[in-house]
Amino acid sequence: MTPVALGLIGLALALPVPALLARAQWPRRSPAAAIVMWQSLALAAILATSGAGLATALWLVTDDDPATWRIVAHVVVLGIGVMVWARFWWAAWRVWRDTQRRRRRHRELVDLLGEPHGLAPAVRILAEQTPVAYCIPRLRDSRVVLSSGALESLDDESVAAVLEHERAHVRTRHDLVLEAFNVLRRAYPRVLRTDAPLRQSQLLVELMADDAARRRTGEAPLARAIVALAGSRTPSGALGAGGDALVRLERLRDVDRPSWWATLLAAAVSTTVLVVPTVALAVPWITHALEVLAAR
Amino acid sequence: MPRLGDLERAVMNVLWDAEGALSVREVLDALPDELAYTTVMTVLDRLGGKEMVRRERDGRAFRYLPARSRDEATAEVLHAALDEAGGDRTSALVHFARSVDADEAAALRAALEEIERGRRT
Repeated sequence: MTPVALGLIGLALALPVPALLARAQWPRRSPAAAIVMWQSLALAAILATSGAGLATALWLVTDDDPATWRIVAHVVVLGIGVMVWARFWWAAWRVWRDTQRRRRRHRELVDLLGEPHGLAPAVRILAEQTPVAYCIPRLRDSRVVLSSGALESLDDESVAAVLEHERAHVRTRHDLVLEAFNVLRRAYPRVLRTDAPLRQSQLLVELMADDAARRRTGEAPLARAIVALAGSRTPSGALGAGGDALVRLERLRDVDRPSWWATLLAAAVSTTVLVVPTVALAVPWITHALEVLAAR
Repeated sequence: MPRLGDLERAVMNVLWDAEGALSVREVLDALPDELAYTTVMTVLDRLGGKEMVRRERDGRAFRYLPARSRDEATAEVLHAALDEAGGDRTSALVHFARSVDADEAAALRAALEEIERGRRT
């Protein structure tokens, strides 16, 4: 039973649970706790999937006369478990290498093209009319890039809000959070893949950076900046969802502080998905496995 | 002594503003700071390593010119930023000017007005 139960948990955590949680509004009340929750879900899904693979392997070597359908079912579970693990590490390596290479190049170009700004050493101003603001996070020498078009469309307070927002991204290494979810997404085969964790954590890190910015400048300058950067045309189309601006703005309008119950709820979900399968399934299974192996 | 990164940017700007390929001496003369000839050589070599500068043989010396124009390089930066913003490489944190439709623009303006008027509680 253990491999099937773990396999089902792994499946549930891979697809329906993320889809359900992605629709919930409450995690936005406490973005940091919500990100931890998504990380726990991801870890639990990986653990359950690989646990199912392991349990299956043990069952196949210890059963003397298994029925054919069970062999097939178990081999499938084992296969998915092995595949997810292998793909996870492969994706981790590829994402890391690609990102490093791309960012090094990107930063080289920004340093050659961008004028340093009086505001801070890491800020570069790009001579470009399209309003753009972003950061290139790295271990050392991160950059915050603003286009001259962005500077022209923002007042001083809004510029301060944008800078604080980007610095929060860099300071708390939000890129690493997103990279981990990107790796995870690539680890799953296409049929089991969901965009929800990556998509949600993208929004959640924006909300965290917004919280940092509003602590510095208050709501109004940040709200003006969001609208200014959201309101203009894209240079070449082909850009993903623009709906985040509205979510962020409505949050600035409605929500006072991150709420304690959303934090608690997120913490409860995190703990549950990690602890319950471990205690209920994995620990008894490990005990059983040790007994079986010792008896042979 | 200016930092190496600042020097590289200054040299690139000289090359970008120039009509054609420049010799090391011409780059040196165009720079505002008093620099050693070898320093400029080093900077040009580094820029070559970054594929920003290429050189042509001119008799026994080399003349240097930008590998891509300023506009092309700017386009590459924007492209890199866009790349990070969309597609599979979703790992970066880009606030790009996204196009919004009329409904969304109206909703954004309305929310902004409420925030500007004072906080609703």
